[in-house]
Amino acid sequence: MEIFIQLVLNGLLLGGTLAIISVGLTLIFGIVRVVNFAHGEFLMIAMYGIYLLNQYVGLHPYIAMLPMLILMFAVGAVMQRFIIQPLLDADDHIQIFATVGMSIALMNAALMIFGADVFAVDNPSEVGVGSLSVGPFRVNIGQLITFTVSLLLIGGLNWFLASTFLGRAVRATAQHRTAALLMGVNVNSIYMFAFGLGAACLGLAGGLMAPQYPVFPTIGTFFVLTAFVIVVLGGLGSLHGAFLGAMIIGVVDSLAGYYIAPDLKEVVYFLIFLCILILRPTGLFGAGRGSE
Amino acid sequence: MKKIMKSWKVLVGTAFAMIVSFSAGADTKLGALYPFSGGLALLGDESYRGVEIAVAERNASGGLRGEKIVLVKADAVDAGQAVGAARKLTSVEGVRAVFGSYSSSISFAATQVTELAGIPYFELGAVSDSITDRDMKYVFRSNPTAKKFAAGTVRTVIDVVAPALGVNASDLKVAIIHEDALYGTTVAEFQKIFAKEKGLNVVEVLPYSAKSVDLSSLVLRLKGAGAEVILQTSYQNDTVLFFRQIRDADYRPKALIGAGGGYSMQDTAKVVGTENIEGVLDVDFPQFEMKDAGAPGIQAFRKMYKARYGTEPRSGHSLMNYAGARIFLDAMEQAESLDADAIRTAVMKLDVPVGMTAAGIGAKFDSRGQNQRAEAAIMQWQDGVLKTVYPASAAVADPKFP
Repeated sequence: MEIFIQLVLNGLLLGGTLAIISVGLTLIFGIVRVVNFAHGEFLMIAMYGIYLLNQYVGLHPYIAMLPMLILMFAVGAVMQRFIIQPLLDADDHIQIFATVGMSIALMNAALMIFGADVFAVDNPSEVGVGSLSVGPFRVNIGQLITFTVSLLLIGGLNWFLASTFLGRAVRATAQHRTAALLMGVNVNSIYMFAFGLGAACLGLAGGLMAPQYPVFPTIGTFFVLTAFVIVVLGGLGSLHGAFLGAMIIGVVDSLAGYYIAPDLKEVVYFLIFLCILILRPTGLFGAGRGSE
Repeated sequence: MKKIMKSWKVLVGTAFAMIVSFSAGADTKLGALYPFSGGLALLGDESYRGVEIAVAERNASGGLRGEKIVLVKADAVDAGQAVGAARKLTSVEGVRAVFGSYSSSISFAATQVTELAGIPYFELGAVSDSITDRDMKYVFRSNPTAKKFAAGTVRTVIDVVAPALGVNASDLKVAIIHEDALYGTTVAEFQKIFAKEKGLNVVEVLPYSAKSVDLSSLVLRLKGAGAEVILQTSYQNDTVLFFRQIRDADYRPKALIGAGGGYSMQDTAKVVGTENIEGVLDVDFPQFEMKDAGAPGIQAFRKMYKARYGTEPRSGHSLMNYAGARIFLDAMEQAESLDADAIRTAVMKLDVPVGMTAAGIGAKFDSRGQNQRAEAAIMQWQDGVLKTVYPASAAVADPKFP
């Protein structure tokens, strides 16, 4: 029983990291209706950014996160403005090609600039590293912080979308872009804002992950496939769905890795993923076909 | 009129082609097929540097058979690209031989092409045994194979760890963990066989994906099984993750033994922290802390590397590729001509005793093209440096255990 609880704990904590990455992805999809295949590479950029700020400015990753949030917002907004926006009315597959192309270009750009070397932030012994003993259980401090931040992020975004004027404009755009346009919402600006917001989540993720994971050009690909599974599982575009999906995948990852076999854990969560898609094609919290 | 124009064009074209081929005729082209981009780029590039230095050195001392060697780089990220790259080298570039390739799957695909084209392929770093088990006529490999790595890790348990802990090797609980692609699986299969032969007590064999972002459940399994000695075959990210997560789980196995990959990289030590990798053992291509007598030229290589690239070598891959390239360049120098058959004859004639090259390996090739005098070295991380600890002839330090 002790092992089981420890496994669930590990899974939930891993879910915290996955949730932040997935929330960014689902925001972009839910509002701009573009599947951003370069999401993993955005994460990679954020992690390099955190590393550089840590190395050359001496900032702790949790502090470096704040400038990185703004920078990543800019990266997302610029990508939306210059790459996605001209293609908004094109076929879906053209948008897919564009974001996949971005992903490959960014990965190789990182390879050219930084080489394939593995980097990690300095002084990891300060904050966010190490583990706590809680009775017989052990909890990684960095992951615990990440988990808490992911809860705050979901809460904050929900409040923002529900209670602010800008948030309502964002929701209106997501529901029906033409109607929003007719109501005087500047749809293109909202799209830029949403894309920026989605990318900014990765600035947050990058800072929180820095004490746990090293950074190298392909680190994004390690997380992005899981993030896609989570987002589809939770229902494309749903924040709650992304959070719940991340928790489910985290726990399944942890339990399957122990009780079945470490190399089969992906198989297990892809099976669960398939079952949910068959039973509920829109995912757990999917908006269904009703919206645009 | 049109006809005249056409024949003019043909004439000019032919003349141009002749000039090009003449000017190219003064050089000997050799291919260098490695992953220069994509996920394998770091060690691909590090391996290539060894060949580059060997070639530069040979060019500086008069070239190959009096001609300057031109290295033609070809980038192959995966097996698919390797086929295209090998085709380009053999048919368009007209290389006389190809050096490669760090990755086994790339080597596999590329050798199929070069063999058909009748061009010698010199493998300097890929470890999968099956590359030279296919009875190809023009494929040769200078480096030790996965089987030697596995044998080395099992030998480490018996000859290094057990005596240091003062116990019988068969009393130790050994666990094998490995990334689940070709590299990890091949080494682990041999580890299982050798461990059984030597009567070791293997309590867990756990494969995992090198792309895992969480290995905590694997760590809990090891902890639950009470594994005391862990043999891991891994790349860099999973090595780092594993080290961080055993620390989080407060799990301290008595010995960790890596089979190359992430365990040999200076970067890994930097990322996980010198104090966390202290005492960890590694079986791999020889690295740089080795007795000079057992590896003549190793320090000179290190100096050349530093002068050329401005940093210390990032791993022993460059050294192994350098030693291998020198062995094969020597064979080409001694061959009657640069025809594939003449090169094969010359390679088969090579007879270099162990301990006579910069990587400590010797050269004696069997009929399948595998070098019989290449063993993996046994090393230990001590004070942030990977030091050779076994066998005594190459050791620069004694193995240390807390």
